Amino acid sequence: MVSISTSTINVPAIIAAVATPQSGAMDIFIGTVRNNSGARKISRLEYSAYVPMAEKLMTAIELDLRSKWSVHEVIMVHRVGMLEVGDVAVVTAVSSAHRKEAFEACRFAIDQIKSIVPIWKKEFADDGEMWVEGEHLEGIQEMKSGPFSA
Amino acid sequence: MINVDVKFFGPLRDIVRSNEISLEVPPPHSGDSTFDALVVIYPELSKWRPSVRLAVNFEYVPFTHNIRAGDEVSLIPPVSGG
Repeated sequence: MVSISTSTINVPAIIAAVATPQSGAMDIFIGTVRNNSGARKISRLEYSAYVPMAEKLMTAIELDLRSKWSVHEVIMVHRVGMLEVGDVAVVTAVSSAHRKEAFEACRFAIDQIKSIVPIWKKEFADDGEMWVEGEHLEGIQEMKSGPFSA
Repeated sequence: MINVDVKFFGPLRDIVRSNEISLEVPPPHSGDSTFDALVVIYPELSKWRPSVRLAVNFEYVPFTHNIRAGDEVSLIPPVSGG
């Protein structure tokens, strides 16, 4: 299950959703908004996405991941909109029989999201705004995705 | 000439001051010719050429890709999710 979410990511709901009776491991990556970017003091981040393409690529990442590791459930959610320090921006969660697959597949998921999924963040810092060049669930229940949610 | 609507994201929106621009593209109808036509209107876009990726119908494609009327064409600046 993948999604771009305009609302708060419900981490406990994601953990509950990847749990299966045959799983002995769950690996959860939670990416949060940091209060700094090097020497710059960050007050908030605004994430935007090319939603249909982002969800398509996240689905492709899940398929790729499933071809490489034997896993049970996979959830990837990235939030868009204005986020404050400490807010959850992205969650990748994988369950598997044993920890090795869950660790590796979860890392693969977040690394791939950061490298290919069309999502952008703008930093709001003490010295102004800046697009980050570089390198993001919702509750499983509310999967809202609209064009160019911001 | 064909009509192509190009979508912009992130920092590129600040340059073109729009989410989407409609333009007439001369043959060959490729990503390259589309980008070239945009640079004429927005010279500041040229510095993004090495880092920007082209997406057609929600898939990354090379700039040599043939663009057809009705395709969803997007310029994807370096992504920064996570």
